[in-house]
Amino acid sequence: MPEQNNRSIFSGERVGLLIALAILSAVPLFIKNRAIVEIIILANIYAVYVASWDILCGYTGQVSFGHALFIGGGAYTAALLNFYFKFPPWVTIFFGGGVAALFGLIIGTPCLRLRGPYFALATFAAAAFPYGLTDVFWEVTGGLDGLYGITPIWPTLEGKYYFSVLLTAVCCGLVYLGGRSKKGLILKSIREDEVAAMASGVNTTAYKLTTFVISGFLAGVAGAFYSHNQLHVGPETLSINLSVLVIIMSVVGGIGTITGPIAGAYLLTIFNEMMREWEELRLLIYTAAVVLFLLFLPKGVLPTLSDGIKQWIKRKGG
Amino acid sequence: MNIFLEVLVYGAVQSSIYALLAMGFCLIFGVANIVNLAHTAFYMIGAYLIYTFFSVLKLNLAMAILLSVVSVAILATGMYRYCIRPVMFSEWSVMMITISLALFFQQLMIFIYGPADRNVEGFIEKKLTLLGAVDIDAQRLLTLVVSVILLVLLWLFIYRTRMGKAILAVAQDREAALFMGINSERVYLTVIAISAALAAASGALIAPTIGARPEMWAPTLGKIFAVVVLGGIGSLEGTILAALLIGYLEVVISFSISSYFGEIVSVIVILLMLSFRPSGLLGKRIEA
Repeated sequence: MPEQNNRSIFSGERVGLLIALAILSAVPLFIKNRAIVEIIILANIYAVYVASWDILCGYTGQVSFGHALFIGGGAYTAALLNFYFKFPPWVTIFFGGGVAALFGLIIGTPCLRLRGPYFALATFAAAAFPYGLTDVFWEVTGGLDGLYGITPIWPTLEGKYYFSVLLTAVCCGLVYLGGRSKKGLILKSIREDEVAAMASGVNTTAYKLTTFVISGFLAGVAGAFYSHNQLHVGPETLSINLSVLVIIMSVVGGIGTITGPIAGAYLLTIFNEMMREWEELRLLIYTAAVVLFLLFLPKGVLPTLSDGIKQWIKRKGG
Repeated sequence: MNIFLEVLVYGAVQSSIYALLAMGFCLIFGVANIVNLAHTAFYMIGAYLIYTFFSVLKLNLAMAILLSVVSVAILATGMYRYCIRPVMFSEWSVMMITISLALFFQQLMIFIYGPADRNVEGFIEKKLTLLGAVDIDAQRLLTLVVSVILLVLLWLFIYRTRMGKAILAVAQDREAALFMGINSERVYLTVIAISAALAAASGALIAPTIGARPEMWAPTLGKIFAVVVLGGIGSLEGTILAALLIGYLEVVISFSISSYFGEIVSVIVILLMLSFRPSGLLGKRIEA
């Protein structure tokens, strides 16, 4: 696909992303603390959740409150296939993504006809459905405790870590390139003015549905990876708290920029883990901080920071 | 016959609570265009406050209910003033901030009361025998009667008072109402206080039956959506009809199949409704 302008692949933002990737790859060489590496693995997985949410919601402007439907769908598919049929992780991960994509198709078809609050309400409700099912079929799913004893993705910590980096690089890279492509531009035009996009001959429903399915697939893959990483799957992967957490990470990072939300995912995962010392107050402070973020930095941390830096450079230069 | 009567009463109680909650939700949305995802958090706080005032501090019942309802209404107006109004320009910022606040309130309740359920003793400890056949807790009947009274009062307030007329005017056209000299800011504050008060009242009424739990808001929010979507946003009669349908459907399915399926029936209703008639049963046809 031709680029919209003749920027080389080494333009500013991309160099930054490559440096970030290099730093991520170097982590196990310098950090030997198992707990820290595990946290970064978790942050890598969250980055994929958030990126897949952002391509759907930040780009098309359809705010989904049910991303956990895809994550949990992928996580449970992978865990059940692995637990009962002994499928290896590299197979279950794709099955997880496939099932989540199917969910995207089933839920997306009725929901995408809706706009604004109706869409948000419908996705919120749709995600509650499988959460209830895990309880109904507790003999199969392990009910509230979930299933233990899922095969690890890789026996050693380093191997697991590099797999998580690979997952993040591939999934986030796809979303990033997709967002910057012509197709991404069309998605943005739908967000800005759907009627105008339709008038320009864009089949907006088809675009939104495709995005829904892709977003579902990526989130499902990450969810499946998550269950192989935790060696456990439980209904928390389907909970509304997870859906909201994904949205919050994107908001803090800056919706609709792909890189911002990913940065938000790393920032908040690490912030969350740093607060472990105040276990009692942790979630209270966390939720309060999010409200303050929304009120005072509505554009997100990364866009606000980069705007600030740009202005600072301008003042220095002129 | 026994089962039939039991379903009749349980369904009515369930429906009346849903109606109270959904009315408040619709009212804010219809008038101020705020999708308040913290609405059922007020219901949860109402339940906790009645636990505090009635079970812990042993205040008398009327006093305890009044205090819970008024403090939630004050909390809601404060929330509107400092958290919602600054982001009112964007519909979905409002949704984000209200759901974050709902989670914040949930954590706050866990912090204060701990994660375990809190039981509230019944307001009246008595069993009534209906038609000499079924035993029903007087508590459930009280819930039903009070909810119906509150709904009637709400109806009278909206259609029979000056403030109610102002609310309807702002809901129809905010700018035109402004030109007529209606203070829309005051209308918003009133509507938010009323809606939160209704939510707190329903929480306080249901607390002796189901207890107070920090995560009780989320599933209820899903059901309120179902009621609102089914009834059609902006239609008060539709909302009541939908609350009755969902309440009874849930109770009938809980009795006949399993309580789990009763829980998820509302989701199926939402998805079917949105696919085939997004404007709701009695709602105006909208472009969806």
